[in-house]
Amino acid sequence: MNTNQPVFVHEFLEHSALRFPDKTALIFQKERITYREIDNRANALARKLIELGIKTGDRVLLLLENRPEYVISYYGIMKAGAVAVPVNTDVKPPGLQWLVKDTGAETLVSSSAFYRVFHDFNFADAGIKNIIIFNPKPGQKDFGVAVTTWEDAISSPDESSPNVTVDKDSTASIIYTSGSTGNPKGVALSHQNIVSNTQAICASLELTDADIQMVVLPFFYVMGKSLLNSHFALGATVVINNTFLYPATVLKQMAQEQVTGFSGVPSTYAFLLHRSPLASYRDQLPHLRYCSQAGGHMAKTLKIALRRALPEHTKIFIMYGATEASARLTLLDPQFYESKMDSVGKPIAGTTISIVDEDGKPVPAGVEGELVAQGPGIMSGYWNNPEATAAVLDDIGYHTGDLGYMDTDGFIYISGRKDNQIKVGGNRINTQEIEDLLLETGLVVEAFITGVPDTMLGNKLVAIAVAANKETDTQEILSACARIMPKYKIPQTLLLVSSLPKKITGKIDKNSCLELISEHSNNKQNNNKGSEHEQH
Amino acid sequence: MSNIEKVREFIVENFLFGDDTSLKNDTSFLEEHIIDSTGMLEVITFLEETFDIKINDDELLPENLDSLDNIDAFLKRKQSA
Repeated sequence: MNTNQPVFVHEFLEHSALRFPDKTALIFQKERITYREIDNRANALARKLIELGIKTGDRVLLLLENRPEYVISYYGIMKAGAVAVPVNTDVKPPGLQWLVKDTGAETLVSSSAFYRVFHDFNFADAGIKNIIIFNPKPGQKDFGVAVTTWEDAISSPDESSPNVTVDKDSTASIIYTSGSTGNPKGVALSHQNIVSNTQAICASLELTDADIQMVVLPFFYVMGKSLLNSHFALGATVVINNTFLYPATVLKQMAQEQVTGFSGVPSTYAFLLHRSPLASYRDQLPHLRYCSQAGGHMAKTLKIALRRALPEHTKIFIMYGATEASARLTLLDPQFYESKMDSVGKPIAGTTISIVDEDGKPVPAGVEGELVAQGPGIMSGYWNNPEATAAVLDDIGYHTGDLGYMDTDGFIYISGRKDNQIKVGGNRINTQEIEDLLLETGLVVEAFITGVPDTMLGNKLVAIAVAANKETDTQEILSACARIMPKYKIPQTLLLVSSLPKKITGKIDKNSCLELISEHSNNKQNNNKGSEHEQH
Repeated sequence: MSNIEKVREFIVENFLFGDDTSLKNDTSFLEEHIIDSTGMLEVITFLEETFDIKINDDELLPENLDSLDNIDAFLKRKQSA
């Protein structure tokens, strides 16, 4: 289907391939790939998926790093009428097993870069029937199920779209995010959700086909994905750079490729400001039109430093969003960057946000309440989880769980989380889930997790735990954590105590736990010893 | 203890939770997801304090820091400068 206005997510690619077939869509290392090439390969992949038995609405897991094959797979899966389920690249075998079970996916698209995850993974037992593997290493892994190499998967002589019919309200993608009940929840986003949100983002940021976006955020994360969709929607160019660990390489490429846009979460900018040659590149970025920040609250000191460090002509957009909203909900117009610095701005086109009290009634300006959002970008619900859906979606909209207020000019300010979810780096973390995982190691009998402010990450995770036996040390527990949870979920500080403070009801006394952490922090300033371990 | 052994010990203790089976001298920290950007700050601080050097921001490059071998060679260059 090729009308002027895209209805389906994969039409972003198709329309741009029609308008700009020979334009560079992606730059990755030394590769420059045109819209026509990506569209043809995505069509071929879609045909292969259909040949493998994929039907409309089937879920396909996508475990790839940011690279052209990710982009081809993402759109190819949707062209086949299937649902793209991006997987966090830091996934561990138990997490992958859970995702396969929850989605019912029978097909996985991945690469040999993830053999470390696959090493002890039994695909057949998990329910996977087909694997499409990029850059396979023969002899290194017997998957025990049907394997198609990437080359075979995109080798169909017919590179036309398979033209599978789906409804615009059908699920296009499921993105997993931490949930209040402990397990991750799958945010089911329809084509309509993603298309409408993408178009609102394009308008808000005044993006055009002349834009060149540097992407250092992972595509499996909703913000990274929105960068891809918003630029592919317009026929712009996306530069993929996975070496942000070495920021000088990113800045050098931004200068070389005349990048016009850069996006990050607070820790991205903290790293750029603390340890990168950003200042010396200031005059080499004449094309950098804007930077955008989302993914949680960025400290005022960082915002001020960023404004000073960037070229004067570079606008800074502060954004606020949620996976449940397809990506973005609000944007702070750069002209208010200084005067409304703590604000996340106003709702983007098509979205409304109300601040409500516990009864769902709107509160006056300046009064704190919960942010409730409405608009075409709001998810239809959590995959396979009606209870969780009912807890956040009702007739007034999506209850974000974020507390905040609106000033008399209509600008929104976020003041905290309603529940126990906290942001560490760009990741939303549910403390209950981490407590459960700590206990899953078998080395801990009880645990309390909280976040404490951190200049780099926004928050860092601190755990107080009681070890199962006195021989167990923090190193052993953290090693066990590393085997079952991604790095970003592992507490940065772990304190071992003989017992957790309790209330008379037997419930953990959170306030006393927080006092313990505060006490530890004070002691640490005077004496750096103790039964604790810090890792970063 | 040699330079490379000191760095190895630091990486294993702080990022691999004591498990050094996957860390060879030419293993890329980036490709093997051993260190993230926050962790790199720790590595830089460790190198500066342990070896009494100053690492400039424009030296934060894979060829200087992305494996034990690269760090070893980088330290030799810095210490002889």
